[in-house]
Amino acid sequence: MRKPLILFPLVFLFLFVFASAQTPPTPVDSLQAVDTPDDAGGQVDLTWKPSPDEGRAVSPVIGYQILAAPAADSTFVPIGTASAGATSVTAKDRLENGRPYYFKIRAYAMDSSYAESEVAGPVVPKGSWWNTKPAYLRIVIWMVFVVGFILYNIRKAGKKELYIRPIAGIDAIDEGIGRATEMGRPILFICGLGDAAQAATLAAFSVLGRVAQKTAQYQTRLIVPCYEPIVFTICQDIVKGAYLNAGRPEAYNEKDVFFVVYDQFPYVAAVNGIMLREKPATNFYLGQFYAESLMLAETGFEAGSIQIAGTDQLIQMSFFIVACDFTLIGEELFAASAYLSKEPEQVGSIKGQDWGKVIFAGLSILGVVSVLLDENLRVHFFGFFRKLMLNE
Amino acid sequence: MPGMVSLTLAGFLTLGIMSFVYKDNPIYKFCESIFIGVSAGYYFVLIFYQSLLPQLTDKIGLTGALTDSALAYYRQSGSLASVQWFNLIAAVLGMMMLMRLLPKIGWISRWPLAFVIGSIAGLKLIGELQTNIMTQIQKSILPLWAPQYVDGSLSLAASIGQSLTNIVLVGGILTGVIYFFFSKEHKGVFGGAARVGIWFLMVTFGAAFGLTVMSRMSLLIARIDFLLRDWLHLLG
Amino acid sequence: MSQPNPSAPTLGPGFWEKFALLDRRIIFAFIFLGLALPLFYTIRQPIPVSPEGRAYYQSIENLPAGSKVLLSFDYDPPSSPELQPMAEATFKQLFTKNCKLVVIGLWPQGPQQAEQALATALRDPRFKDKKLEYGVNYANLGYMAGNEIVIQKMNADIISTFPSDYKGNATASLPIMRGVRNYKNFDFIINFSSGFVGTREWVQFCVDRSGAKMIAGNTAVQAPENYPYFRSGQLKGLLAGMKGAAEYETVAGQPGKGISFMGSQSVAHLVVILFVILGNIAYFVSRRKW
Repeated sequence: MRKPLILFPLVFLFLFVFASAQTPPTPVDSLQAVDTPDDAGGQVDLTWKPSPDEGRAVSPVIGYQILAAPAADSTFVPIGTASAGATSVTAKDRLENGRPYYFKIRAYAMDSSYAESEVAGPVVPKGSWWNTKPAYLRIVIWMVFVVGFILYNIRKAGKKELYIRPIAGIDAIDEGIGRATEMGRPILFICGLGDAAQAATLAAFSVLGRVAQKTAQYQTRLIVPCYEPIVFTICQDIVKGAYLNAGRPEAYNEKDVFFVVYDQFPYVAAVNGIMLREKPATNFYLGQFYAESLMLAETGFEAGSIQIAGTDQLIQMSFFIVACDFTLIGEELFAASAYLSKEPEQVGSIKGQDWGKVIFAGLSILGVVSVLLDENLRVHFFGFFRKLMLNE
Repeated sequence: MPGMVSLTLAGFLTLGIMSFVYKDNPIYKFCESIFIGVSAGYYFVLIFYQSLLPQLTDKIGLTGALTDSALAYYRQSGSLASVQWFNLIAAVLGMMMLMRLLPKIGWISRWPLAFVIGSIAGLKLIGELQTNIMTQIQKSILPLWAPQYVDGSLSLAASIGQSLTNIVLVGGILTGVIYFFFSKEHKGVFGGAARVGIWFLMVTFGAAFGLTVMSRMSLLIARIDFLLRDWLHLLG
Repeated sequence: MSQPNPSAPTLGPGFWEKFALLDRRIIFAFIFLGLALPLFYTIRQPIPVSPEGRAYYQSIENLPAGSKVLLSFDYDPPSSPELQPMAEATFKQLFTKNCKLVVIGLWPQGPQQAEQALATALRDPRFKDKKLEYGVNYANLGYMAGNEIVIQKMNADIISTFPSDYKGNATASLPIMRGVRNYKNFDFIINFSSGFVGTREWVQFCVDRSGAKMIAGNTAVQAPENYPYFRSGQLKGLLAGMKGAAEYETVAGQPGKGISFMGSQSVAHLVVILFVILGNIAYFVSRRKW
């Protein structure tokens, strides 16, 4: 790979100095330049018919140089190369969006003589708003379906109560609050390490609202140590709002919802310390968790707390299942949040996603059947479907 | 000498944090406080120099010497290019986030928050659909009978093996999806399928647990290696 | 609960009841010894190489000499025992192949981890004659905040995403960055990750959108989440934890910390398995009695 690069200029130099008679090649023909579709801009697609002298016996064409200029009569500068045999290239160096460019191709022969094509252009590179490649079209189809289902179900949920199956961990939430009240010990609520934009964190907010409202009613202390600064501010708002709704704004203690540190293991060290010192009766771990899940749940177990966990990080679930009393696995967390809040947006979303899952399962089954028939019985089944799903 | 002091300090802090496995104690509390304090300070400095200065104040032109910062560009040309407008809008959104510190106009901070949540949700939706739904469905559409040929002739053992793998994979996906279906109670055949789904999940959790044990051991080995080799020079 | 029969052998039900309530600190002590003692001995054991590990090595080996490779360091010191040996061995293999390396970090301490791994690799006597030069053969563009948005933005323009490098030089002035605009200008991408933002986001926003070829080194905790991407071809190779590092060192013929720590790892695993079996027996025996 390196050698030809070094040899290239040497060969050129040699031929330039010693070649006795140079015969310029025939230039490339039908050069066309168009703005590259489905890109972020700054690129132009060039196509041409190769020089017929690529295969001539004496001094054949050995490569092409791409030249560009802002005007047809200004100086053309090289912006790229293409090897002999190529009939297209995407020019992307030094091209700016919104400015016109002219292009020509210089065909180089072995004896370093060259010939330039006619000028193509002007072309104005620009970014595309829509990506029309099939892969993206499929995503749009999925999105239209899933978002459509969700919106439809949100509307429906606003009019009547929709059914969501009972989930084991949900009753435990109220039990946990009751237990802490009876024992006169605090409740620890951890929203995970995710940021405020993650679905699991949003679901945790919803449950936090519910828990805070109950603790306000029962006058149980609620401790919320936060990891992420934005999550911290939202938690403050939620707990404060819940105490206000419960008619006990004076019971809200600002110091119990606090920011710890934005670093994973120091955060764990701090929360572990809180668990052992404050001895909370109930620990909630809801949201996005990473390596700290086991350390937190293990310490909570050791401190004798009832523990309720829920996360969409399936890998971390294993530790919660081992060390916690109740767990909300993956999407159960979102369902629990919808179940508790009864908000049409949340209930409708769960319902809409259920419809999406039916389609997902249906397509998978159809796919498996079509592959089975295709490969074993040579019966071509659902040709269009296979094209759509398998990109065949 | 300074090297020895820092090694001793590191060794002491390692043992201090490890003492937690015996029980909570004042030395652990001391080390924990140092850990949190140093970490907070370190992140502040890191984010200040690697994010705040180059991404905000340099780009506006309050610090640094960028020739295309908003202020420098404005001085030169009397106008701003779109990139510089974007930087200014980002700066304003950042300032709005700080409004939280003023109780009366704290609500303003919800706007940039809405921007962050909305834009990330949109970005992730496409990514999740493409990577975790489209591609994964495509790759899990597998033949339940997968004949395998060895030297041109059908190998029954290999075929059964591959077919079983495919059946487990497709079955695991379908029953897993059934477990996470919330519109129907887990009863009858549906309940049975959901039960199989949760078994699949439990097996996955078991594997994950094992790998995590391995991960944690690795961390501990490195610390023990540090204590014995670098600090106490007991290992060659 | 009945009193144990004094004439019964010591391994009677009384033993299992006590075992079920064993103080966890005793287990900790056994694991500590299981990890520490093997460090004093050289334990030779075969290290079978998984298909993922072999694919990781092979995909670098298949790169044409002089290829341009982008490496993202998305971890911090707590995960370095697992990922640092992989990073060091990877640098060495890439330098052997005369690849040109551009390093970035999406975790604040990532670029610093890369610097350490680079320093270790560059000390290797094999590279003395190569006269590897900063800015020409390798460069560290530093950390950038913004997680997956950074990955997305790099698909449009890398130089404007990282205007200056780790040392404060203008990125555009580095010879290695000449002609580099987006992922299309890299032959290969390697990601070392221990969580979010990491391999998953790289697959989503880089591989699936730009068609780039990528391999990854993960912590063992994180790896199960990313195995499906290897199976589906979105990742060309995957190393999982210290075991992955040891596999890679084995197949690359570069023994390092990964291999040397595997003895401790294996003994500790045996201790864990033993306690799991004994714990289960104790659980069932005690349950039957109660």
